[in-house]
Amino acid sequence: MSGDLLEQFRRIGRDLFVAGLVSSHGGNMSVRQGDRILITRRGSMLAQLEERDVIDTGLEENDANVTLASTEIVVHRAIYQATSALAIVHTHPPYAIAQSLVKDEIVPVDSEGSYLLHKVPVVAAQLTAGSTEVAGLLPKWLKEYDLVMLRGHGPFAIGHLLEEAYQLTSVLEMACRILTVAEGMGAELKEYRKGSEQYDSW
Amino acid sequence: MPAGRRRGRYTGVVSSTTPLFGPPRGLRVDLSSGASREEELPAEVRLAVLGGRGLGAWLALRERLHEVEPLGPENLLILAPGPLTGTGAPASGRYSVTSRSPLTGTVFDGNSGGSWGVFFRRLGYDYLVVGGACDAPSYLLVSPGGVEVRPASDLWGLDVAPSLARLRELHPGCEAGVIGPAGERGVLFASIVNNRGRSIGRGGLGAVMGAKRLKAIVVAAGGDQKPAVADPERLAFVVYEAEKLLKANPITSQALPEFGTSVLVNVLNQAGAMPTRNFRDSRFEGARAISGEALRDGYVQRRSACRGCSIGCARRTTAGGESGEGPEYESIWALGADCGVADLTAVVQANYACNRAGMDTITMGSTIACAMELTEEGLLPGGPRFGDAAAVVRLAEATAAGEGLGAELAEGSARFAARHGRPELSMSVKSLELPAYDPRGMKAQGLAFATSNRGGCHLRANMLGPEILGVPKMVDRFATLGKAGLLINMQNLNAVLDSLSICKFTAFAMKEDYYARLLSAVWGEQVEPQELLRIGERIWTLERLFNLAAGLGRDDDTLPRRLLEEPVREGPAAGHVVDLPPMLDEYYVSRGWSAEGVPSAAKLARLGLDGRGALVDCSGAAS
Repeated sequence: MSGDLLEQFRRIGRDLFVAGLVSSHGGNMSVRQGDRILITRRGSMLAQLEERDVIDTGLEENDANVTLASTEIVVHRAIYQATSALAIVHTHPPYAIAQSLVKDEIVPVDSEGSYLLHKVPVVAAQLTAGSTEVAGLLPKWLKEYDLVMLRGHGPFAIGHLLEEAYQLTSVLEMACRILTVAEGMGAELKEYRKGSEQYDSW
Repeated sequence: MPAGRRRGRYTGVVSSTTPLFGPPRGLRVDLSSGASREEELPAEVRLAVLGGRGLGAWLALRERLHEVEPLGPENLLILAPGPLTGTGAPASGRYSVTSRSPLTGTVFDGNSGGSWGVFFRRLGYDYLVVGGACDAPSYLLVSPGGVEVRPASDLWGLDVAPSLARLRELHPGCEAGVIGPAGERGVLFASIVNNRGRSIGRGGLGAVMGAKRLKAIVVAAGGDQKPAVADPERLAFVVYEAEKLLKANPITSQALPEFGTSVLVNVLNQAGAMPTRNFRDSRFEGARAISGEALRDGYVQRRSACRGCSIGCARRTTAGGESGEGPEYESIWALGADCGVADLTAVVQANYACNRAGMDTITMGSTIACAMELTEEGLLPGGPRFGDAAAVVRLAEATAAGEGLGAELAEGSARFAARHGRPELSMSVKSLELPAYDPRGMKAQGLAFATSNRGGCHLRANMLGPEILGVPKMVDRFATLGKAGLLINMQNLNAVLDSLSICKFTAFAMKEDYYARLLSAVWGEQVEPQELLRIGERIWTLERLFNLAAGLGRDDDTLPRRLLEEPVREGPAAGHVVDLPPMLDEYYVSRGWSAEGVPSAAKLARLGLDGRGALVDCSGAAS
């Protein structure tokens, strides 16, 4: 692994924790390199990643390193195999999780969220961590959306670079904080965006 | 909710029952006999390669153009707009021309704005194939009434602008692609120029036209078959959302509209990635004098735009009592910094000379720079020297006229440098001159140049975005490994954009999901981003297979020796060279190719190129 790539893992991982998007040992990230996948180690702390915490294993075929890989590797692999993603960030942001418990799709009302997300589908699964059920559900949504919310668990965001997926994750959580506050005010929200009534069809 | 019906997996509502997935419909003209006919391709081809560049690559391989002499009558010119052309999608008034390049020997497509593609689509065709050769100078007229080969003796010898003007007199309201004297004389980097000054600039496709004694391909006004759009309401919504991004992004809403592409002069120079004096250096001390700011302040009359484009990066300029189009960033660099010239008036005039004659400014400037270095090395007595502004203008004119040293320069730098015993002084890949980005300061750009299917080119993939501008995000531009995936994704996406056809500048603001949504609305069928990128990979692979069949391989996926061995002397990139072999290894593995750069049988099968479907059987092309 190049030093630049490790630095990306370290920088994004630290920011995810500092921003409150993951707990101490929560969340995971990966990068696709051809037929290989570089994924955070199972039980690693995203805020304190070392070289040993980024595991290099096969995208389609297992090797010994898979014993160290994140619990979610089955989901990451499925996403890479079905989409154009080169990077995945999975987190546990509290406001987004709260919104996912009451909605089937999250449609941001703030400007940044509207521009970058339009809408975020919420997908439900009984086994939410590292399951083949999730691996079967998420990719078909991520073919059309760069970020999908797993109800009660957290979003999976994709991009060409880790930073892109991190940005979408951060935007989602900010949008959900705004949604939560705005909806909590109990008043009808004033619309300012042309065409927003079509966002649910995005 | 509009009246209509749901179609396939598409979540919008289609408002018409127009069969959008019919077989691609084309016209084929044999200039030798004057005969023409309509034809259809298998319906699967539309879904497999879209149109534009993809259709050109598919046809070029099927017609075995790798076996023909580029300037012989057997070579074909394949002109094709794409499924977004003329639909109202942002910056989509484009088309491609594909052929076998006389400069590179590779498959070669050029993509241009203007209105030719829109007019052609209105005739109800997806592509035009032109083969054979005329006995005497002629032009081709395509109109609702059919195809005619008409005499062009009175046009032969005319510069580009008067040729276009004369054709507009003959056919009011027409759109035309013409060649100038350079194409007529067989300059190996002659271009095809459209109304509005937009060009099929690189690779010498104008010379292919000239060899066929074909002065122009004219599309008459009067086509009334507006490209079908299955879900106009949905398309309007996606276009609105896309335009929002274009207007919010400072590259597409401020930099390009205000300065044009020349905004990059100072950007690249500051980064130490501005090739100077035939890539001897990577910073130009005279950059400010030839910058986008200087062009805006002293030369620009007005900005202009291709049809249907809100960015408007083109420029109408004036210099020395003459006015014309451009110059673009690459032209300023090639005729300026690469020749050590800081006289912007001379650069603009040299650009005009290329435009008049119909020549690629990058190859012209780079070949002059090569001549300048040969002179400095004592190998070209009496030749031009770096910094000689007048010589740049004079040599551009001499090349178009086939006079003196210009007759030699007309072959491009690879042949010219080899003729003078120093082939390594040609700054080219696969004989196509490199554009204005020094890969010693942007390492993945070096890999992009080396692996480009049409040679040294920034339009197959330009790592300017991630390595300099931070689009989509900034990466370490000096890092060697870890960027192959990003590059491949960009190569595949650009193949898609050229095949849709939509301007690559939109990608500064838009991602692939927007293109998928645009196409989904036009077709009324769900097209996913991953499907689009798979199509891009298929097109890239078709081009690779063509080149392999033409005899190119790993040894051709390289860079000029200077970039591999001579460290940059000063500036931000000081000390750097391109360490290409490990990058190439990583790239081939990521592509799923062998160590020699050959796609595996399994890869061809996954892309539907193994002959089991309606697509061309490519399984033997690489062997």
